[in-house]
Amino acid sequence: MSGAGSNRTRAVLDRIAARLLDASVGERIAIAAASMTLALLIGLVVVAFAGYDPVQFLGNVAVGAFGDANALARTLKFTTLFILTGVAVAIAFRAGVFNIGVQGQFVVGGFATVIAILQLAPFLPTGATGGVLLMVLGTVAGVIAGGAYGALPGILKAYGDANEIVTTIMLNFIATGAVGYLVDGPFRGEGNRAPNTARIPEYVSLPRVVFDVPDFSVVGLAVTLVVVAAIAWVLARTRFGYDMVTSGHQIAAATFSGVNAKRTVVATMTLSGMVAGIAGALFAIMIQGYYSDPAGIGTYGFDAIAVSLLAANNPLGVVPAGFLFGALDSAGSHIRINSDVPVQLIDGIIGLVVLFVAVPELFRMAAERTGLGGEN
Amino acid sequence: MADSERDDDQVPPDVRLSGITKRFGDVVANDGVDLTLEKGSVHALLGENGSGKTTLMSVLYGLYDQDDGDIFVRGERQEFDSPRDAMDAGIGMIHQHFQLVEPMTVLQNIVLGHEPTERGLVDIESARADVEAITDRYGFDVDEYLDVPVRDLDVGVQQRVEIVKSLYRGAEILVLDEPTAVLTPQEVEGLFDVMAELTASGHSLIFITHKLDEALTAAEDITVLRDGEVAGTVDAAGATEQELARLMVGREIDFDRKPRETAIGDPVLGVADLHVSGDRGLEQVSGVDFTVREGEILGIAGVQGNGQTELVEALTGLRPVESGTVSFDGEDITGTSRRDRIEQGIAYIPEDRQEEGIVMDYDMIRNSLLGFQTTQPYVERGVVDWAAVRDHAEGIVEEYDVQPPDATTEAASLSGGNQQKFVVGREIEHDPTVMVASHPTRGVDIGSIEFIHDRLLELRDAGLAVAFVSSKLEEVQKLSDRIAVMYEGEFVDIVDPEAVTEEDLGLLMTGADPGSSTDQSAAKRSWSDGGTPAGDRGDES
Repeated sequence: MSGAGSNRTRAVLDRIAARLLDASVGERIAIAAASMTLALLIGLVVVAFAGYDPVQFLGNVAVGAFGDANALARTLKFTTLFILTGVAVAIAFRAGVFNIGVQGQFVVGGFATVIAILQLAPFLPTGATGGVLLMVLGTVAGVIAGGAYGALPGILKAYGDANEIVTTIMLNFIATGAVGYLVDGPFRGEGNRAPNTARIPEYVSLPRVVFDVPDFSVVGLAVTLVVVAAIAWVLARTRFGYDMVTSGHQIAAATFSGVNAKRTVVATMTLSGMVAGIAGALFAIMIQGYYSDPAGIGTYGFDAIAVSLLAANNPLGVVPAGFLFGALDSAGSHIRINSDVPVQLIDGIIGLVVLFVAVPELFRMAAERTGLGGEN
Repeated sequence: MADSERDDDQVPPDVRLSGITKRFGDVVANDGVDLTLEKGSVHALLGENGSGKTTLMSVLYGLYDQDDGDIFVRGERQEFDSPRDAMDAGIGMIHQHFQLVEPMTVLQNIVLGHEPTERGLVDIESARADVEAITDRYGFDVDEYLDVPVRDLDVGVQQRVEIVKSLYRGAEILVLDEPTAVLTPQEVEGLFDVMAELTASGHSLIFITHKLDEALTAAEDITVLRDGEVAGTVDAAGATEQELARLMVGREIDFDRKPRETAIGDPVLGVADLHVSGDRGLEQVSGVDFTVREGEILGIAGVQGNGQTELVEALTGLRPVESGTVSFDGEDITGTSRRDRIEQGIAYIPEDRQEEGIVMDYDMIRNSLLGFQTTQPYVERGVVDWAAVRDHAEGIVEEYDVQPPDATTEAASLSGGNQQKFVVGREIEHDPTVMVASHPTRGVDIGSIEFIHDRLLELRDAGLAVAFVSSKLEEVQKLSDRIAVMYEGEFVDIVDPEAVTEEDLGLLMTGADPGSSTDQSAAKRSWSDGGTPAGDRGDES
């Protein structure tokens, strides 16, 4: 590696980084839209080469995501999950903690919700009042369980110096395994052939407004948006948020200012897990109505990492990012059923879109961290 | 030969910069700068942060194209498109941040990119012989480290490796960009010896610094830059610090002690038999006792790494103590948290402002909340009132002369001096009872140093108890009412700054006892007899 060559490379990188860092929000959205178009175009070429009709494929994408009320409801259903899990990841990232365990917290939270509702239902009235009460209590149980499951790696990191990336990944396996065992054994519903819990009562469900589908309710979306707004407010306007975000930027500066670093790590992970728990509760109440083997449910907690990156870890940015992921997933499940394009190809194209859209943001983050493009 | 300038019989200077102008957008970083580096000499380039020193050297090194002006090397006009061209012309640059590959050995680093090869394979033994020849010739003691990974070496040795690397590549003209910033006082002495060796053997050096005494000590010629222009070029032999400071800042700088206006009051801050461990669990503070009273400044002098950091962190609540007590206003606060101490009135100007004192990615509004998270009206019931915080930030920026005067500026784009003025101002705004400061003027330009000194003296006159750590003797003597000298975790002595000489302080800092041999009156250099104080010998960053 020659000095001159590396300097020239550095100068080019610096220029690109500076341009990326200077990009306004509007420009960033335009970049994302252009990246998505480009990825889709490349995807269509691949589809054509594989011997399928690219025009028809593109039509299927649009129809699958937004074609009719059912498609839109499906898109929004996935969107709510991606938004909530994405916000959970974003909270931790903003505080400089890497919570890779949102999936586990999501699973534990959802399972706790179902169990709480099943256990409490006999003691409460049936009908609308009981339903609302059980949903609230179930969600509280999910939030507590998710929060506790997030607090655990936080405590291990703060007081045991255990790397949270490693512990949260391991706790994901434990959550999946343990809940898988429980739904198969002690909590298996009577007469169930599959390893599932019993169904929660019919009256414990969100109202069907606007969309008449069994697994999505605008109430769920509304709750999601309220959570997003609340988290954004906490981060931007409260002392707790300031302490957390400052810790994420410069832990020494936070400590200097009187922030207890260890306690902040635990609080951050707890809050992150609580939001993941809300996602789990919503999944349990709105979508499934029972709990099944977590190995078979979607990997929302992992995809959430990409959602959060795409949103530059901004809770408000998670909303459009989650919507993009929701639309892609929705289109994917539509195409899977309604065309003969192989599932692997669909997933590959979705992956391509995610990659193209996320990479400019990833570079921005990298540029910020490395100090490239910093001068002038 | 139209471009050469051999109009007389003399040897042309190694480097001559003529009318160099470099603009970045509307900002003129260098404006018609002339500089002549004679063969076999050291030419100091002196200037405050942001005066254009580094830009000028980047032009010489081919990193930037000048907008106007010419570069002559040994009389030949040169166009450098890249550092490679500059290297080919025999110019080497020692950057402030070393360009070394940490896991690789010294030898590997030196030959990197210029490895001698034998039938396509690297001939490391012939490289070793070449490198040893260089180190022997200039008396660098890096031979013993040739097979040691760079990351295991002290900063001073790493710097010598950088120099050897440039020499190995055939550099005859070396540019040293603020080389003393990262060094301890002893290492600075060592560097000056190396520089003398190099010039004796015909190399020419451009030595960038913002420290007056270093320029006077190490250089033959001094060019002072101010706001991108040459404020003056002087012969080091006839120059004084006062003169250089005036050129640098554009006005007179007051080096003298200021008389105190208030009497010293009751003890406020005290420690008794304090023992504190460092990060690696080793004891760094070994039984220190002292008190600081109202209206008094206690200066803690010492070579860095003798426990000052740990002591200050124990005072401010950032580090737990092993044994002993810290008391404030007669109350034992040994076990209280950092937050408690902020609220009690112990403000702290931290050692590393860019890590601790400010958040580099935040604007000054967000930075002004740092440490004030429990102070009304900025935060009430856990909710931040950003409008109030903004007023707070604008007040600090205005009162403490932070440039640019815009609280929405991101901290990273402020110069070191302005960052520090902001930190000092913000800590004073706590309206504290005690101010603890750690290296309050480290890496700060001379104008800001004076400003910060004046603020600390005002705090003293307002009746605060001030304790500050510095390794700059000049600063310690100018500000302190008493000087504690710290060595290997203990206070070896607490002395009167009026009575002690700088030489004695230097000896105390190395753990020696000056009282036994030195003739006090002969060694003494008074501050009031018109002589200039020997400048800061301290390490800086």
